[in-house]
This record gives sequence, C-alpha cells and structure tokens, in this order.
Amino acid sequence: MGKQTIIPFGPQHPVLPEPIHLDLVVEDETVIEAVPQIGFIHRGLERLVQTKDYNQFVYVAERICGICAFGHSMGYAETVENLMGVEVPTRAQYLRVIWHEMSRVHSHTLWLGLAADAFGFESLFMHAWRLREKILDVFERTTGGRVIFSVVKVGGVTRDLDDQQIDYMKSVFADFRAEYTKLIRAFLDDSSVKNRTVGVGTISRADAVNLGMVGPFLRASGEPYDVRMLGSNGYGELEHFEPITDDQGDCYARIRVRCEEVLQALDIIDEMLAKLPAGDIAVKVKGAPKAGSEACNLVEQPRGECYYYAKGNGTKYLDRMRMRTPTSQNLAGMAATLKGCDVADVNMIVLTIDPCISCTER
Amino acid sequence: MGFFKLGSMTMGSLFKEPSTLRYPFETKEPPAGLKGRIVNDKDSCILCGACMRACTTGAIAVDRKGRTWSINPYRCVQCGYCITVCPKKCLSMNPHYSEAAREKKIRIVNVPEHPKPARAKADAAKGVDAGAKAGEEAAAAKAGQKATAVKDAEGAETNGAAGKDAAEN
Amino acid sequence: MSLIQTLLGTVLFAVLAPVVGCLLAGADRIVSARMQGRVGPPLLQPYYDVRKLLGKEDVSVSGVDGLYMTCALVFTAFSGGFFFSGGNLLMSAFLITMAALFFIIAAYSSRSPFAEIGAGRESLQVMAYEPMVILMAVAFYLATGTFQVAGVFDLRHPIVCTTWLAFIGFLFILTIKLRKSPFDLSSSHHAHQELVKGVTTEMSGRTLAKVEVMHWCETVLFLGWTGMFFVWGGPATLIVGVVFALLAWFLEILIDNNFARVKWQAMLKSAWIVALVCGGVNIAVLMLL
Repeated sequence: MGKQTIIPFGPQHPVLPEPIHLDLVVEDETVIEAVPQIGFIHRGLERLVQTKDYNQFVYVAERICGICAFGHSMGYAETVENLMGVEVPTRAQYLRVIWHEMSRVHSHTLWLGLAADAFGFESLFMHAWRLREKILDVFERTTGGRVIFSVVKVGGVTRDLDDQQIDYMKSVFADFRAEYTKLIRAFLDDSSVKNRTVGVGTISRADAVNLGMVGPFLRASGEPYDVRMLGSNGYGELEHFEPITDDQGDCYARIRVRCEEVLQALDIIDEMLAKLPAGDIAVKVKGAPKAGSEACNLVEQPRGECYYYAKGNGTKYLDRMRMRTPTSQNLAGMAATLKGCDVADVNMIVLTIDPCISCTER
Repeated sequence: MGFFKLGSMTMGSLFKEPSTLRYPFETKEPPAGLKGRIVNDKDSCILCGACMRACTTGAIAVDRKGRTWSINPYRCVQCGYCITVCPKKCLSMNPHYSEAAREKKIRIVNVPEHPKPARAKADAAKGVDAGAKAGEEAAAAKAGQKATAVKDAEGAETNGAAGKDAAEN
Repeated sequence: MSLIQTLLGTVLFAVLAPVVGCLLAGADRIVSARMQGRVGPPLLQPYYDVRKLLGKEDVSVSGVDGLYMTCALVFTAFSGGFFFSGGNLLMSAFLITMAALFFIIAAYSSRSPFAEIGAGRESLQVMAYEPMVILMAVAFYLATGTFQVAGVFDLRHPIVCTTWLAFIGFLFILTIKLRKSPFDLSSSHHAHQELVKGVTTEMSGRTLAKVEVMHWCETVLFLGWTGMFFVWGGPATLIVGVVFALLAWFLEILIDNNFARVKWQAMLKSAWIVALVCGGVNIAVLMLL
C-alpha cells in the first residue's frame, strides 16, 4: 500500500482555464478520489436584476462569462421576450443564430487550443489560437467587439449586417475552414495525441444520462441530445439538424465531437447567410413584465444545454432571473471520471468537460 | 502510424512571416463600427439626464446647473445603451482602441445654452421688434458658443467659470 | 589524461559552456516561436531571465536546495571538463548522472506535493535514459578501443559508421535528456502542465538561476556527445562534428513542436526497448565482428 498524498489542484493553476479547486487524493501517481470545491468566482450577478432593469440586465448577462457571452445575452433576451410576449422579427432571429454559431466556432477552437496545451502540445495550442484570431476579427468587424458584443437587446438585435460585411464573412470562413481541416488532422490522427486521449476518462452512456450531463460531454458518450434539434426560435429555420455523437465516451471521442461541431456550425452559418431575409432587426418593447408572469428558455451553448427562468413582478425590474448553466451539470460527471485516473490525466479530464466556472458560479 | 501530422503547419510557419502584430511598432486600423469612446454632440444635447439613468455602470454624469455632461471612460463598458435611450440622438460611439494611461481622467463636455426656438416664434406672431430681439439672442448665443468651443475638454480640466459667463449673457 | 588537463578543461567548460548554452537556448526559443507562428523573444532572453533571477529573493522552504544545486553545477562542470579535455567518456556520463541526482534531491528537499511528483518523474527519466547512455559508451569503446574521448582523433573514419544503430538509440534518448516533448515529463519551460512546474516548483531566485545554467551546460555537453560520433582523424573534422551537433539540435526542436507529451509508462517502455534493440544489437554486432 503506497502513501497517500493530497495534491491541491487549483484554484490557481496554469493549466486550468477557470478557478476550481480539486483536492486530489493520490497514491503513486494514481488518483483515488477527487473532491471538487467551487465558489471562487461567485459575483452575485443574479441579484443585480433587482437594481438593473430588464433592458440593462442584458449587458450584465453578457458579462457572466467571456466565452459564452453571446449565448447568455441571447438566452436572457429570449426569456424576457417569452415573458412579455414579444415577437422578434425573422431577420433578427437569423442574425442571432449566425452570431451564436460563430460563438460556438470560437469557443470550440479556443477549447481545442487549451486541450492541446493540457497534453503538452504547445505548438498545436498556438496554431489553434492563431486560427481563432480570424473569427475574432470577424466579430470585431460585424459587432464592434472581440469577446463581449452587446448586439442583443430585448426585442431583437442592435446591429445589422450589410452586403460588404457578409462577403467579408464568407471569405474569412472559407479560409478558416481550409486551415481548420488541416489542423484537426493533427488532433485526430496524431499518435502521440491518441496516446494521451484514447481510453482516458471513459464514461458510459447510462452513467452519463444518470449524472445529468449535457453538451458535447454527453454526446460523446452516445446520447443524441442537443437543444438545437428541438428547433426553437431561429433554429427552427434550419432545414435539417442532426446532433453529432460518438459512442466511445473517452477524451478522444469528446475532441472528435467538438471538432466536427465546428464544421457543422460553419455549415449552419453558410445556410443562414444564404437565406437571410430582409426586414427589421428589432421591435420596440414597451412596458414591463406583468406581475406573476413566468417564462423559461433553453439554449444550446457551446458547453451544453443552458436553462433560463425569469419571473416578473409588474415593475421594470425582474423579480427573479435564474440561469442553470451546463458546467454545473457536468461537474458530477467530471468527479466521476476522475476516480482511478493517472495524475497526468487530471488536467485532460478537467478540460474535456469544457469547464466554464464563471458561468457556473455567476 | 500518425507522426508529424502538424508537420506541414510547423515547417510552413517557420518560413512564413509570423502572424503577430508587432504592437506598438505596428498598429491596427480600427475597423468601422468598433466600440470605443462615447462622444456627445454638444449642440443638440439638452441635458435631460436619460443617459445618466440608463447607464449600466454609472459612468455618465449630467449636471444641469453647471451645464456639463461628463463620462468616466474607465467605467464605461461600451454597451451602447445610452445611445439607444437618448431622445435627441446626440450620443454616438467612435471607433477607438483605448490606450494605456497613468491616471484615470474624466472627460467633460461643456454644453452651451441653445437658442430657445419657442420665444422667437412667439415674437414673430406678436410682430414687435422680432428681428432685433432674435438677432440679439442669436449674437449672445454665438458669443457663448465661441467662448466654450475653445475650451471643449478632451481630457482637460473643466472651465465652469467661462461656461457660467456664457450662461449669464 | 592528466589532472591538470582535466582541471583546465573544467574551468574552460565552466566559463564557456554557459555562454554557448545561453545562445543556443535563445535560438531554441526563437525557432520554436517561428514554428508556432509567433515572433519569439530576443536572442539573449535566457541571459536576461537568469540575471533577473539572480536578483530575486529566495523563498525556498528549506534552504538546502541551493546547496544541492551548487553541487549539481560543480559535477556538471567536471563532467564537461572530462569530456572536452579528451578524457574518460564513461566518467563523464557518470558525473552528469550524479548532477542529475543532486537535482532530484534538491526537488525532494522541499516536500511540496508537486515537486515530489516531479522529482519522482525525473527519477523515472534518469532510469529510462541511463541504460542507453551506458550502452553508447560501451559501443564507443568497442569502436575505438578506448574509453578516452581523444581516441577519436586516431581513427580513420568517424565512429558513426560502425555505431550508427547505437547513435540512433542515443538520438532517441537525447530527447529525454534535453527535456523536449514527447518526454518533457518532469519539467518544461511552460508551466501549463499538471505539476505546475514539476521539479522546479519550489525553487526560486538564485537556485532557479543555477538550474537554468545547469540546463545550458547540459545542452552543450550532450550536443558534444552527439558531435563526437562525427569526428575522426585530426582536429579539422571538429567542424563536421559541430555541424552534425547543430543538425541534431534542430531535429530536437522539430520533434518538440510536433509531439504531445507522453506519460511515464510510455517513456520508460519505449526508452528501454530502444536501448535493448539499438544498443544491444549494435554491441553484439561489434563484439562478434
């Protein structure tokens, strides 16, 4: 029987993208148990609905997380629109879907870089982030910001895309797709990458469903659930949507699912840009949510299904705004997969759930 | 056996120009529509304070008595809500990359008095020395505008005294 | 070789190897950066880093790691002195291993969990590459008839002609010794791995500066061993040795930028298989011929 040490992993650790604390009980480089602790980045943002009216809160919702920023602003705006019975024009819905899918491409490319860094492949990390800069340039041109866009408002969007911008977007995406297809060959075919990811952190489909996992983490274990297939809001305009799954349930499967989701997102953007309808980009929203009204909304963020709930009380300040983010569902799955792995696999497994602790703790 | 799958990118990058922008020796042209700094067209501002109430971070301050509109650029998060609520559409956002600074300065804009259009119309209806009176007021307003135009602060100190003089005129 | 020559070699190595090593380390970072599409730091960045470290406060848990690192540096200097003055190759190999052991003990002395696991991995690394180093020295002896490095000058052809298989094995473990991916398990120049900074987690200030200088000297020494395979006849062929040493250095950077890090099980297994196959077969062939 070897000696058991406790390694404190986080909250400040160079490989972690967000502050989470894990007490790893380790015996000779094998993790016996991992005890997670969160709460380092709780800012109390949901309480701000009491002091910021429902229009101002979009800007707070955006700043919950840097990577899921657009997803949160869109999800929040849609929830309040459901609450007040506002019908958003079709063009605005299309624009929201386009920006959201671009967010997904950005998020997954960023994640691919971090995953490469986690298994020690620094040059792959740098090349993935070099490609990500192209997407950020598109965001800058079309929304004015690189990470926080502030283009969504309750009732629609605040900016429009003109033909020049659409041509620019199409050319950048064509470039991006060519280089990206080369990049993912390094992820999916390289032997040293496979050595680190195949068979690591496996979780079965039954366990995944029981632990309540969502997003690519769930789909890599074989369960085909994706909110976009329910076809709500702008996603109902898509001709066809099939969630991408893999049946192995290990780190390699999760990398593969995310790589292919980027290509799927690029296809969705192309489809939406091609049939973008003319029209208004917003409707004027007057008044306040009725007292006692409630609404909920589901959005497929890059990390998984995010659930929003809003309650009105008759004033322009919402009574309650609750966001249940995907990572809070995946933490249980992460703790389960960490049992019995090597110390060298810990950061790989923590990263494969694509942790966004800022969203989890708000 | 998959080895050197990234080889083409690695060797290729070795012989190509690096993709880094060598700031500050090279700078990037801010694209149109970039979020940057909020500017106020002082000729149309009526100091109603709607932007101050709308601001999500409390960066804008409107002083009706001192006739100033100021913004703390270090609190501004460039959300653009003030632009949406302004009734006179005098606020706009200029593309600007914020540079580093050693101290946080508040930008103050002195809003001059505008000629009140309602009185001129009433005098015309009365038909009494309307031209002379309107001319007088226009001259006074112009003088006030000229005095404060020079002192329009772009990160400098306020010139409340001169502003007050113009107001009294 | 005489004691005076060895001591002279040691002193010269202690003075010149850090300079050459610093330039090589700087060039390494620039080449790596260009491969990643970045610009890279100035060439003398490693020197600026060491100078900054020397001025920093030492906040080690037990003050002993500074002493251990000094011993490691002294042994590295002697190892280089033995090698570059034409002395005993096996002695040089043992002295550098001694230096590595002092480095490991310095890491263990801090009793931090990260440093302990890093030191454990460093020990595994030493276990992985030692067999091949010994077999390389034996192959050298069988090819030249002596353990003295100066013996290469009496040959009519470079020893790589008869020991090329052992040389390939040596190139494989050179990746481990130079701490490059896929074998940069215990510590790398990037703190993004699971062990924060592995072996050097608890080292700071002057101790860390000594670690940096030791890495520079080690790089020069191992590239010297690589170049030794390509020297024969007179001192004029030293140029050939230097060229091949630099080619090997570039190859190591290329490998570093194209491989992910492997776990210790894979490193140990592959290194021992390579030692057995390349080293063993080469030695068997040389002994039978």
